[in-house]
Amino acid sequence: MNRGQQLIQAYRQAPWRQQVQWIGLFLIGVIFLAVIAGLYLSITARAAEHGRRIQAIRLAKETTEKEIQDLESRLAELTSIERMDEITDEMGFHVVNENQVLYLIVPGYPGRQLAWEATQPEGELESQADLPPEFTQSLLEWLGERISQWAGEAGIGELGGSR
Amino acid sequence: VNKEVRWRFTFVGASFAFVGLMIIFQMIRLQVSESARDLEKFDDPWYEEVIYPVRGQIFDRWGTLLAGSKVVYEVGLELNYIDLERGDLPKIAEVIHDYVGTKKKEIVTNARVAIAENEEAEEGEGLVLLVVDDYVPADAAQRLEEYITQYNDQTWNDANAPKLWAIQISPHLARSYPEKDLASNILGFVSLMDGRGHFGVEEYYDGVLAGEPQVVKLSSNPNMVEEMRAIPPGTSLILTIDREIQATAEAIIDEAVDQMGADTGTIGIMDPRTGEILAIATTPRLDLNEYWEYNEGYFPNRGVGYAYETGSVFKVLTMTMALNEDLVEANTTYTDYGVLDVGGALIWNWDRNARGVVTMTDCLQYSLNTCLAQLGLDLTPVVFYRYMHEFGIGDPTYIDLAGEDPGSLRDTNHPLWSWSDLGRNTFGQGVSSTVVQMLKAVSALANNGQMVSPHLVKAMVVNGKQHDIQIQSAGNPIAKKTARQITDMLVVSLEKESSDALVPGYTIAGKTGTGEIATEEGYTLEETNASFVGWGPVDDPRFIVYVWLEKPKTDIWGSKTAAKVFSRMVERLVVLMNLPPDELRLTLQGN
Repeated sequence: MNRGQQLIQAYRQAPWRQQVQWIGLFLIGVIFLAVIAGLYLSITARAAEHGRRIQAIRLAKETTEKEIQDLESRLAELTSIERMDEITDEMGFHVVNENQVLYLIVPGYPGRQLAWEATQPEGELESQADLPPEFTQSLLEWLGERISQWAGEAGIGELGGSR
Repeated sequence: VNKEVRWRFTFVGASFAFVGLMIIFQMIRLQVSESARDLEKFDDPWYEEVIYPVRGQIFDRWGTLLAGSKVVYEVGLELNYIDLERGDLPKIAEVIHDYVGTKKKEIVTNARVAIAENEEAEEGEGLVLLVVDDYVPADAAQRLEEYITQYNDQTWNDANAPKLWAIQISPHLARSYPEKDLASNILGFVSLMDGRGHFGVEEYYDGVLAGEPQVVKLSSNPNMVEEMRAIPPGTSLILTIDREIQATAEAIIDEAVDQMGADTGTIGIMDPRTGEILAIATTPRLDLNEYWEYNEGYFPNRGVGYAYETGSVFKVLTMTMALNEDLVEANTTYTDYGVLDVGGALIWNWDRNARGVVTMTDCLQYSLNTCLAQLGLDLTPVVFYRYMHEFGIGDPTYIDLAGEDPGSLRDTNHPLWSWSDLGRNTFGQGVSSTVVQMLKAVSALANNGQMVSPHLVKAMVVNGKQHDIQIQSAGNPIAKKTARQITDMLVVSLEKESSDALVPGYTIAGKTGTGEIATEEGYTLEETNASFVGWGPVDDPRFIVYVWLEKPKTDIWGSKTAAKVFSRMVERLVVLMNLPPDELRLTLQGN
């Protein structure tokens, strides 16, 4: 037995040890995949949960909008001319004629104001609701976009679409 | 390998095998379970839905809601849940009939037909939901829902009891008119049949009120839910109408029609400075929430959609033309013989009397047809009809209401025109116009010669932003000086006449009109259109009021009918518009 063979023999591991090492490596791989799968599942579950919430909120928004419209109409019914006439009659008021009116000048009083029904401009609300790309792009899409951008700047030409 | 190590390998291997088997078992369980069919739709979770924006609201000038939306309910049957053998259908029909009022037989028949058709249809192509009733009021729908919940709880464990699971109650919006018949001829209505606006503002602005339906792509897979764009609601309208003035005008015209036995009545009120219509009260009106209960005669706005021969109110226009052409002044005299030959046709005064030498103011005061016909001749047809067109007679005003009648004017370009037409047109015969056309024409007289376009929308609310409608001039048919002259003449003629139209404390300019109605035998005084147009306060006009009574029975003359209605209206109007009597107003302005 030459020197080289002696060295190999000296460091050779027992076959059962090698087997255990291979199994260990395989298990590490399996565990790694399981961790990735677990993460993926966790994120997917959270995304699904949020998706469900968005669906529920959308429904709630529609319902609320309908309720608002309905309540506005009911309020208008309660303050309609017909109803107000009934109330004023019950309270003993009557319509004044032009000779019974006392006119006063109230300094600074601008008089009855015309209707102003506009609320916050919706355009601004819409822009606030836009989600930034971090929340809508996958990593690959982001990478593709970066590459396209870089290629565009470098004058290489289009490398492919991003999203 | 020793025994201990082997045992360990065996244990780990068995554990992995067990977990693996469990996973496989779970996968199989999921695939064969009843819920698995729900997963099929995730193969293509995207579906398109048409979203109809909420219809825009309509307000009066102060923000009072005149047309909005309310929640109503659709009652439907989910056909897959109906078990005919269990006796579901008769029970369902009975419950819906009791709470909603739908006919039992109708429900049973329609459901049976739909179920039979579904059995023959290919998979996925049958009817899923059968609508049995719609526009169910909230209280009825709520009571029905409560009963169904209670019944379901009671019969949950009884397999043989008929079930009400198939009944679906879903809310949606429907048009609502809180003021019922107020301004009904201005607003129009939204049809339950086609969801579109009919008549009035609802029809004219149907497109903007309804908004733009949008097709959106939605996912049933919660993992694929994306942000949905906000669907902007339909444009809301702020009208120029003042609810209080409108209600008062309607009450006054209703009373007048009743007292004077008129067929119909109309009062139009406009701000002569801006063309803003403050009210158009007409009879008959309808409760817009139940429009289907009325016949078509109730729907149009008579102030816009019906042109008629206005009679002597037209004389103010003829006199204005002559003044503007410097043919006459207030004191210019005319010798009235009671009759005048124009193109072979004899023009008589309304009472067939001659008044001798009269001034132009007298011509208006006594409403002399001969005098005005002579002015028409002096003007010449070309000039007279040029002015008529400049005043907008015979042309639509383009007011923002559906169904405008442009009226009729036979001018010299018409093949059948004759000189007698000129004679009759000068005092409002042979020419028809609407209340709104007259308001527009007279605005030139009340507004220093500048005519304004009548309109009903003051502002629009689009996507939360309010856009005010700019005032549009309709031209300057006459000079400022002429407007002043005719106003003064009408003030004097009204006061000299001690007209019923006068309102104590307020200086008003105005003119009556009694239009004979054309019949097959010619014009007759048995039936007339009584009118009055007036504006005030004359130094700073804030309103033009036009009254039209169709075929009044108590008296045929406008001076005895429409003039009274005018004064009643103005007495209330000045209070509602915070207009003090002239003397007090001028004193306050001086301070």
